[in-house]
Amino acid sequence: MNALGRHRKLTAIWASEPGFKGWFSTVNHTDLGRMFLATAFFFFFIGGLLAMLIRAQLATPHSAFAGPDIYNQIFTMHGTIMMFLFAIPTFEGLAVYLLPKMLGTRDLAFPRLTAYGFWCYAFGGSMMLVSMVFGIAPDGGWFMYPPLSGAIHSPGINTDFWLIGITFVEISAIAAAVEITVSILKYRAPGMSLDKMPIFAWYALITALMILTGFPPLILGSILLEVERAFGFPFFQAELGGDSLLWQHLFWLFGHPEVYIIFLPAAGVISTVLPVMCRTPLLGYGWIVAAALALAFLSFGLWVHHMFTTGIPHMGLAFFSAASTLVAVPTGMQIFAWIGTMWKGRPELHLPMLHLLGFFFTFVIGGLTGVMVAVVPFDWQAHDTAFITAHLHYVLFGGFVFPIFAGIYYWMPHFTGRKRFFYLGEFAFALVFIGFHVTFLAMHWVGLLGQRRRISTYAPEDGWTAINLISSVGSFVLAIGIAMILIDVFLHALTASRGRRNPWRAGTLEWAMITPAPAYNFASLPHVTDRNPLTIEPDLAVQLAKGEGYLGTPRNTWRETLTVEVASGKPDMHVIYPANTRLPILMSAVTGIFFLSLLLKFYWTVPVAVVGVAILAWKWVWSIGRQDDMDTVPVGQDIHLPNFAMTDRPPGWWGSVFLLTANATLFGSLLFGFAFLWTVAPGWPPPDWFPPSVSALALGIIGAGLGPIAMRYATQKNRNGGTPLASLALTLAGAVLVAVACAAMMVHTPAPTRHAYAATLFVLGSYGLFHAALGILMVCFLIARVRCGFTSSARRAEFPIVRLWIDYLSVVSVLILVVAHLPGLMG
Amino acid sequence: MRDIIRILIAPLVWLATFSAIYGLHGLLCGHGINGTAFGLPIERVLLGAAFLFAILLQTALLFALYHPSLAASSEFSRFVSRATGWVGLVATLWSLSPVVLTTYCV
Ligand code: HEM
Ligand SMILES: [Cu+2]
Repeated sequence: MNALGRHRKLTAIWASEPGFKGWFSTVNHTDLGRMFLATAFFFFFIGGLLAMLIRAQLATPHSAFAGPDIYNQIFTMHGTIMMFLFAIPTFEGLAVYLLPKMLGTRDLAFPRLTAYGFWCYAFGGSMMLVSMVFGIAPDGGWFMYPPLSGAIHSPGINTDFWLIGITFVEISAIAAAVEITVSILKYRAPGMSLDKMPIFAWYALITALMILTGFPPLILGSILLEVERAFGFPFFQAELGGDSLLWQHLFWLFGHPEVYIIFLPAAGVISTVLPVMCRTPLLGYGWIVAAALALAFLSFGLWVHHMFTTGIPHMGLAFFSAASTLVAVPTGMQIFAWIGTMWKGRPELHLPMLHLLGFFFTFVIGGLTGVMVAVVPFDWQAHDTAFITAHLHYVLFGGFVFPIFAGIYYWMPHFTGRKRFFYLGEFAFALVFIGFHVTFLAMHWVGLLGQRRRISTYAPEDGWTAINLISSVGSFVLAIGIAMILIDVFLHALTASRGRRNPWRAGTLEWAMITPAPAYNFASLPHVTDRNPLTIEPDLAVQLAKGEGYLGTPRNTWRETLTVEVASGKPDMHVIYPANTRLPILMSAVTGIFFLSLLLKFYWTVPVAVVGVAILAWKWVWSIGRQDDMDTVPVGQDIHLPNFAMTDRPPGWWGSVFLLTANATLFGSLLFGFAFLWTVAPGWPPPDWFPPSVSALALGIIGAGLGPIAMRYATQKNRNGGTPLASLALTLAGAVLVAVACAAMMVHTPAPTRHAYAATLFVLGSYGLFHAALGILMVCFLIARVRCGFTSSARRAEFPIVRLWIDYLSVVSVLILVVAHLPGLMG
Repeated sequence: MRDIIRILIAPLVWLATFSAIYGLHGLLCGHGINGTAFGLPIERVLLGAAFLFAILLQTALLFALYHPSLAASSEFSRFVSRATGWVGLVATLWSLSPVVLTTYCV
């Protein structure tokens, strides 16, 4: 088979449906990455428009452009859109598009999950837009503090849009994060050990892990606040044993890591683009990886610095002030590694490099004002002024938007296969750079003069008029610059002439393919021996196209790839991907019905949607797997690999591990919230306690013990060729017992609307009940699979997955039941 | 996966001890325990002991990461895991130093 024949054959196997219809059924990461990016930039545009409205309003004193209530909606939506609908999805889009190409494989780990994540994002984002069109957009500020956002002070539907819409969008972030984590750990070209991974993959891995542990506290907070608003459970009401500070803890437990979730991918772009622009390898690869890891961890120990003015004891403040100053060290290390790279190399001032310089200048200033506000007494002065707004834009715009523009210009030839033809981009950069600094330097200044943030207007006597006008003029220059960049990108995509492959002479694998990228990425997979494969083997693209790598011969209609061991990069499994399907969009639509029902308080459609999701999920998982054993598969270079259905650690197991990591973080945050209310909230002890019962507790614990033991037995039985049905039935019985114990707990909790204690217990009980139901569903699924012949002693991959969830169920249910019953039993 | 754990363990332990000591501080201040030990208020002694424990834990981890039989086998993982090991220790010393430096519960 020659290169062209191979290309045709692979394209037939991998291509999405042609045209418009293909958007709804594609599961291809290249398509979905582009869709993510296009949607994210659409939201960037909307967010930018809102920013223009803000600056138009603030340009003059006593401005009558927007009243206070509309102004509240505008800045809330601006912040919300930029953070949740632009920044995070841009990272996801870039990672989804690039990672398999950089890692030398053909797609992400779970193609249908990518699509599901995208559609959840698109639907959730549309919900937010709809609210804006009808003038009922969220208006409590992007961090939605109660009691302002509680039912008493914000009775309308506005806040519900935020709580429900953002949670919906966050499902997509969690989906993408699981996807990215598993893909980076397992889906790489053979030979790519951890130290040979492109640096962008390290950043993406760390960011994805941060999403998995950073987003759950916010999801939990949103659920609790929505439950408070809808059903009157008083989690955040001080009179009834709640505490509005609990929201602040949960929000910033997410919110500070969020800043790094935004910055790290941008840093990944910088570390990828900068060395190419400077024609030298990146300085200090290992140091950069360590610094990024340190940054990620430290960022979880900073959240209280957003709460310096809430009356927390001094020692508490000092912990977080100290930790806040500490993050400057790894950040500084990264900056020095980049400066060193520039020093060592010969920087060429291409357009991406200009944006990188814009980043350096802006971000360093933002970092310095950041250290200023980490100092508690300074923060007491600057808190809630325009100084903070200016600081956060130096960090976010400097640390995210400039690098992303650099990345867009750097990878544009890859997206389109064309080259730029005119200096529009350079000119636009100049406008953006000047406009940005004029706008936000002025805001620092006016903030120090006392202008509070989020005020819809001010008086001439305040003495802020001239500075605000300067800032607004700057922002319009900035807006024109950004519009020119978008126009430049459009012109480029539509009209520019075809460019040559790898125009930047980069070393990473995404350039070892034809551009625009084919649906299958690589006609055969490379064997990686260096961090910059194209530098040592410039002809790699041709060799791969000729089929000289792994999996070079298309087989059946299989979308094939292989996975590797995490650390060493030795091939370990053969994978057949699912093909195009509309299941993801359907499932996210049904998920959307669930959220819409909650929003509109159509509670009778909620169970319908839940059952719908369960049925679709069943179908989803049912469609993979085989009913006959398969020999090991030759993948080229004399290597034979087992299909993933015949291993103990299939991709689904890895996905479950990381999904459960996120889930455990949510559960941990719930326990933290319980402990926090118990010790700190004023309205305790509660009027009535949960009536403990030894028998209910014992029943639950027996169930929790039975499940995992029987499941282990079932796994073993299956492995030895016996029938596991009896043990699976026992596992089922265990999960049912747990469900009964949790349901009993919910029934016996005192009225949850009367005190936060009962409310929290009720939520804990429902968490346990939900997971028990999930466990029951999974075991039933496995029983059905066994009966239909999808398992054998060799095809055993589904057992460990179910086992993982059953084990998780038993750990959380024991904790839940003990937390409920034990205090009363001890007297 | 083992290498990933070696790389993550020290900062993870820092995060756990940092949160635990912050929680302990909240608990002690919320419930107002009285008494003295070794001539110091009991709160200070408990917090100090927790701080010491956290430092010892990090030191032990660092030892393990340098110990030939426990260290990672690839040179890269060895380097990164030791670097994050140091991060854990330094972060513990620095971010929890208020335990011995500032007042509590004010
Ligand atoms: C395109 C240029 C931008 C301009 C001119 C701009 C302008 C502003 C202004 C004037 C405010 C203050 C509103 C007030 O406190 O009354 C604001 C708030 C905010 N901006 Fe931007 N912004 C821009 C881009 C961004 C980007 C790219 C991000 C994030 C990635 C962002 C995130 C935020 C956030 C989180 C807030 C706080 C909202 C709140 O107080 O609830 N902005 N912006
Ligand atoms: Cu922060």
